[in-house]
Amino acid sequence: MPFDPNDIMKDRLTDIGPPKYDKFFPPIVKENYGKWKYHEILEPGVLLHVSETGAKLYSVRVGTARLVTVDYIREVCDIADKYCDGYLRWTTRNNIEFLITDESKLRPLIEDLKSRGNWFPIGGTGASITNIVHTQGWIHCHTPATDSSGIVKAVMDELFEYFGSHKLPAQVRIALACCLNMCGAVHCSDIAILGVHRKPPFIEHERVQNVCEIPLVIASCPTAAIKPKKVGEYKSIEINEARCMFCGNCYTMCPALPIADQDGDGIAIWVGGKVSNSRVPPMFSKLAIPYLPNEPPRWPSTVKAVKKIVEIYASDARRYERIGEWINRIGWERFFEKTGFEFRHEHIDDYRLAMTTWRTTTQFKF
Amino acid sequence: MALKHKTPMLDELMKGPWPSFVTDIKRVAERKPQCDDILGLMELSYKDREGHWKHGGIVGVFGYGGGVIGRYCDRPDLFPNVAHFHTMRVNQPASKFYKTDVLRKLCDIWEEKGSGLFNFHGSTGDIILLGTTTDQLEAIFYELTHELGMDLGGSGSNMRTPEGCVGRARCEWSCLDTQDIVYDITMRYQDELHRPAFPYKFKFKVSGCPNDCVAAIARADCSIIGTWRDKIRIDQEAVRAYVGGELVPHGGADGPEKRPLDIQAEVIDKCPTKCMEWDGKNLKIWDEDCVRCMHCINIMPRALRPGEDVGATILVGSKAPILEGAQLSSVIIPFMKMEPPYEEFHEFVGKMWDWWMEHGKNRERLGELIQRLGMREFLRATDVKPDPRMVNTPRYNPYIFYDPDDVPGGWSRDPKAYRERHQP
Amino acid sequence: MSSKEEAKERIINWMKEQKKSKHYFNDICKAVPEINMREAKKLINELVSEGRLRYWTSGSTTMYMLPGVDDVEKEEKGMV
Repeated sequence: MPFDPNDIMKDRLTDIGPPKYDKFFPPIVKENYGKWKYHEILEPGVLLHVSETGAKLYSVRVGTARLVTVDYIREVCDIADKYCDGYLRWTTRNNIEFLITDESKLRPLIEDLKSRGNWFPIGGTGASITNIVHTQGWIHCHTPATDSSGIVKAVMDELFEYFGSHKLPAQVRIALACCLNMCGAVHCSDIAILGVHRKPPFIEHERVQNVCEIPLVIASCPTAAIKPKKVGEYKSIEINEARCMFCGNCYTMCPALPIADQDGDGIAIWVGGKVSNSRVPPMFSKLAIPYLPNEPPRWPSTVKAVKKIVEIYASDARRYERIGEWINRIGWERFFEKTGFEFRHEHIDDYRLAMTTWRTTTQFKF
Repeated sequence: MALKHKTPMLDELMKGPWPSFVTDIKRVAERKPQCDDILGLMELSYKDREGHWKHGGIVGVFGYGGGVIGRYCDRPDLFPNVAHFHTMRVNQPASKFYKTDVLRKLCDIWEEKGSGLFNFHGSTGDIILLGTTTDQLEAIFYELTHELGMDLGGSGSNMRTPEGCVGRARCEWSCLDTQDIVYDITMRYQDELHRPAFPYKFKFKVSGCPNDCVAAIARADCSIIGTWRDKIRIDQEAVRAYVGGELVPHGGADGPEKRPLDIQAEVIDKCPTKCMEWDGKNLKIWDEDCVRCMHCINIMPRALRPGEDVGATILVGSKAPILEGAQLSSVIIPFMKMEPPYEEFHEFVGKMWDWWMEHGKNRERLGELIQRLGMREFLRATDVKPDPRMVNTPRYNPYIFYDPDDVPGGWSRDPKAYRERHQP
Repeated sequence: MSSKEEAKERIINWMKEQKKSKHYFNDICKAVPEINMREAKKLINELVSEGRLRYWTSGSTTMYMLPGVDDVEKEEKGMV
């Protein structure tokens, strides 16, 4: 029965949930579910998983732009149909894995992927820089302080050699969020690129009462910084600017409170986070650079800063050390010395729990 | 067909070795005016260094409070084809396995009824359909449910689409059936996923082992992380093969070359509790001191495997910074077997949600509520007994809020008897 | 009128009395203080499916409002 726009309740299905997970498992995964014995990365981007039954599954991992079109997905399907009996998966970090059971198809798949220009870079495994997880940015977000897809493209272009190789001391996970609401949580990444607003919203007093509901605007502020105020003839609001956390909630409720600002907005760089429990517990990323300007289209300052961190880490860290472990070993004073990043008052925390980050020992390095 | 908008700045992003979203969107823009306009709009953002979207809030599919996010362009005069450009979130199959036939059908629906642009995938895991108009929402929902057997994911103050790692489908380390747990939570709590009534968002994430490939500990209100309580399984012969250079260390993660593993420096010295010893022939592990960090297993995957008495550590409260600052999840239940039908877990979730719904302020995440009211209140509400595994250290301030029930006679005093013992 | 229908009426009447047009779930529950939140959610779900309440979402949070005849048109014209 086709959809009837005049009767949306007809044959309506709700709460069916996603397809059950095993519906799209390739037969080898169904047969060896829970029986995998070990894996090996045969070369960057190519994984082999071996089952207790002796079955072998090859996965070829490729980076994607995350922001993709129907044409791209159809091309991916053509490849999966040709080599993988139509089976594939995506990873948490926006990579595609083509799944192969017939070893004789492995080389032809890899050659095919390489023959398609820059669409399907192979890599993202092991001690590499895998794909950047990121948010929407200017393509679709309503409170971004910076772009996302363009910065990711510029940074990955520059770090490309690290995507398809295993030459770093450990994996480096980079994440980008286009404002500090972090709809993509980036706060535990080896390197986090974070959009920051530095100016509170301005108020279009003559528009507020027409396009906004003032009590809702007041209620939308998480720090209670907004109060009602009569401005001349207009019922409007005032903002205690010192309390603004730049979340954009008020702009969501009221388009007469724009927060975007071409000179105020920009990027902060954070380093040293991790989520795995391997060796040392998970860690937050800490502030490395409080502000870099937005520089479309190729974002040179951000690209340069990220590359600098990666290169100094690559030359200085010991095997298996993540960026955060490396910094903890050498000390933050050395990190700022080696990178040449200026240490400023923004680096010293003044929010809740700030005290837990201050140095309460005479142990430090000159 | 020539494109309507010139995009000299975006064109710079067609260069370089990484896949270009600009090149991709341009080829679709040849036939889809929405894609032409979104490139024009993006170019304007690149010139202005400011975004050009406004928020909508009413649009959705009937009866659901989540899954659709309204979006309006603030320059409809210049870009009429993206004037209304709403997002739909489609609940992905657990661990994101697909067969091409379902993806092709999804592309056909989205080409016809939307912009043809996706995020594969959104941060939480949903397939994101980026850009359609209000009049298409119900039609798309109908075709998703009827033709693809797919449903919308979460947004707003509801349970968000749960997500898990690849788990037992393709990983030898997974101590949990991550897909089944994700599917169980998703299906059991469909009402919580589609009809928001929580103080704020609530996220579940499931990782099969402490490597935590979905970052459950950093971005889930309830993090379910696989672990084991017996011994690491050791194949001593394989350990010797690593030391002898017959096997590639780290599963090839540092390069495919075989080299003798320096087991002392690369494994034993890196062990956080120093619970291992190598005597040149055998690896001894004092499992009672092991904290299951996974490092030794990661480095020698063919020699070491997690134990067989597997289950989950349940942690709660992690979140991104808004508002009280970023939090990691804290251990609440050190070990739960986590086997179907997951009754013990459902019971815990029910108590946790009841407490949060009753006490949580608007837009207060669970982790913030626990901070505000105290861990003791949360443990009471969920009937969980205190355990040293819940803390890094016991408190070091003496300001204990004693419970009158724990003190003989409560807080009532006998002033007369006191004064018989003491002169005023 | 059953007690359930009566409680639903109270919710609608409470909504009509408020200065704000949109409300969080928590606040609406104040209209029926004797009912626990899980049960209140069922009532509010019913009101939504009957078309007597509708959702408003910022994407990160959700509120409820009384439906007006031209809500969507107003939103599309930027007069929320």
